[in-house]
Amino acid sequence: MNGIINLNSDTLPDNVDQEHSVDPRAIKVWRWSVLGHSLFVIFLFLVGALFLLLNYRYLWPVAAAICAVILPVLILTTLRYPKAYYRHLRYRVDDEGIRIQKGVFWRTLSFLPRVRIQHSDVSQGPLQRRHGVSTLKLYTAGSQFTKIELDGLEYDTAMALRNQLQRNETDDAV
Amino acid sequence: MPSEQDAEEFRPEKRLHSLSWLFIFLHHNRAILPLFVAVLVGARKEAYIGLTVVGALTVPVLLNALWLQFTMRYGFSESGLVIREGVFFQNVRTIDYTRIENVDTTRGIMHRLLGVAQVQIETSSGGKAEASIRVLGLQAVEELRAHIFEQRTQGQEAEGGAPAIAAEPPEELLLSLDAGELIRYGLIDNRGMVIVAAIVALLADSGIFKEENIEPILRSLPFLELPELGLMISIVLGVSFVLILTLAIRVLSIVMALVVFHDFRLSRKAGDLHSQYGLLTRISLTLRQRRIQVVHQKSSLLHRLFKRTSLQVDLAGGIAAAEGAGQNSGNKALREVWLAPVCLPSDAERLILSALPQVSLGQINWNGLAPRARARRFRQGVYTWAIVITAPAAWFLGWWAIGIFFAVLPLLWLNASLYVKTTAWALHDTFFIYKRGWLTRKISIVPLNRIQSVRLTESPFDRRYRMANLKADTAGASAPGRRFEIAFLDREVAGCLAVDLYRAAAAPLTQKSYTG
Repeated sequence: MNGIINLNSDTLPDNVDQEHSVDPRAIKVWRWSVLGHSLFVIFLFLVGALFLLLNYRYLWPVAAAICAVILPVLILTTLRYPKAYYRHLRYRVDDEGIRIQKGVFWRTLSFLPRVRIQHSDVSQGPLQRRHGVSTLKLYTAGSQFTKIELDGLEYDTAMALRNQLQRNETDDAV
Repeated sequence: MPSEQDAEEFRPEKRLHSLSWLFIFLHHNRAILPLFVAVLVGARKEAYIGLTVVGALTVPVLLNALWLQFTMRYGFSESGLVIREGVFFQNVRTIDYTRIENVDTTRGIMHRLLGVAQVQIETSSGGKAEASIRVLGLQAVEELRAHIFEQRTQGQEAEGGAPAIAAEPPEELLLSLDAGELIRYGLIDNRGMVIVAAIVALLADSGIFKEENIEPILRSLPFLELPELGLMISIVLGVSFVLILTLAIRVLSIVMALVVFHDFRLSRKAGDLHSQYGLLTRISLTLRQRRIQVVHQKSSLLHRLFKRTSLQVDLAGGIAAAEGAGQNSGNKALREVWLAPVCLPSDAERLILSALPQVSLGQINWNGLAPRARARRFRQGVYTWAIVITAPAAWFLGWWAIGIFFAVLPLLWLNASLYVKTTAWALHDTFFIYKRGWLTRKISIVPLNRIQSVRLTESPFDRRYRMANLKADTAGASAPGRRFEIAFLDREVAGCLAVDLYRAAAAPLTQKSYTG
């Protein structure tokens, strides 16, 4: 993968676990949420097109063109983007903590040492519950990235991961 | 927990200062006060309705303040400070002596006139102050401080740890600013500008600049005869007006600096730093070593002109964060925690070391950005310039816009060159240091054990140039300008650096003890 920094590069020690993908069932959940966003955008464009038609009737080709371009793009996005997002979402746990890589166009790789995790949540929305996935939320005492999320984990995996990341010492990591 | 049992048995008996209700009342009415003014200014004839509303809002607050005054108690139990509020719904809070990091005081003019102080009890939990006692007499504050710190030392000795504070260690003065330095600070900072802008905005809002108000004033002045005086005199008058205004703003800035930072003293006692400043509102802060996260050095063009620099620190939790959240608009100055509002560059290193003893600034191996960073920065500048400036210029000036566009290119190239030249970073055993900015030079020093998380970002453009953007998060970096971010790093370098920072952040916290 020509993604962000190659996680298999030799800068990493050997004892590091392999990188994991999340549960593929998450794609369905994301599809619904992307669909929701798409519908909102479509709604905005339809309102815009309607406005054009009612006020400047001679601009109808513009309105038609907008609909002709936007609709297929959004349908394609709804179908393809969640899959691409899934492909690019990876995580890996090692002795020090967890790294999470995500993003299709803008890619981020977050490094979170386990000693810096203040507390953690595993949350599940109604859609997620139906598909058996959940979101792991890790909180730090930082200022910019106080919440680091890993979306689309199977519920049991998320709980196991959270227990694995729970720090043992009662160190005050501030 | 022993402390909870304590709280049940222990009945705190000490009361607040007898004028506390006044301060509680005023504090809670801060929000209503502008409303009060607005009512008086806005509706002149119907003012009594507004006054009734304001009264209806304030009377309960007054009753609440009096209630607190009569019911609030505090005291020193075996294990911690106990604060009790209320009678029917009792809220008893125990703060263990060992957890208390700071006892800070804030004193405004009224506090000083009445000989009282507002006390904040800080713990390491972060966020807001654990408890705020409004207000205590000065003697009570001293008693509180003495009690807490005595108990804490005993507690630590009992636990077998080394006594953190040896019997009253000597206090070492690190920096004190005299009037001359404060005048320099006023000239550099130029905060008077903000005040003048605020006053003008307020006046404009109140309708003073309406034509019927202005016209009589203008008529009374000799301005109307200006054209008759001739061009030269008009220019001289105009220029002198601007000069006088500039001068007035500078003088105002100096006065503000003299008031806000009057008798600024930074001292060190048992490894922790104490700063005190202020003429009207005297602020006393304890910067505990283990709460100091990052030190920022900032030298603007004016700083360099006066051969000075400034130092600020980020604190984990505590006052800075609470004030930053807009809890208490009266103490905005506390948002910035100064190590030195102004100091000699030669003193900077000494002060940085006093705040971060784990750092050694002797030899720093600076590293730069990616090789193509300059070209990319230049291109970014050109695109921005083309969109923001040239398009409107083309609209108004036609073909001349092309000339303007090309005339600025050398400047953009210069900016890109200087950006790349002045941005540098270095990773050492215990700390990370990076500098940026050519007009205002900034240096930030982050001990590695203060890093909370690390993030690499790659935009589609970054991928094209094989670059990455590195961010490291620390506690207490509330302002965007304080954030730790390096753009245009070589991707491989950024990856290694991120892993190194991550490892270091994950390492056991060796610098936990504040004895260093």
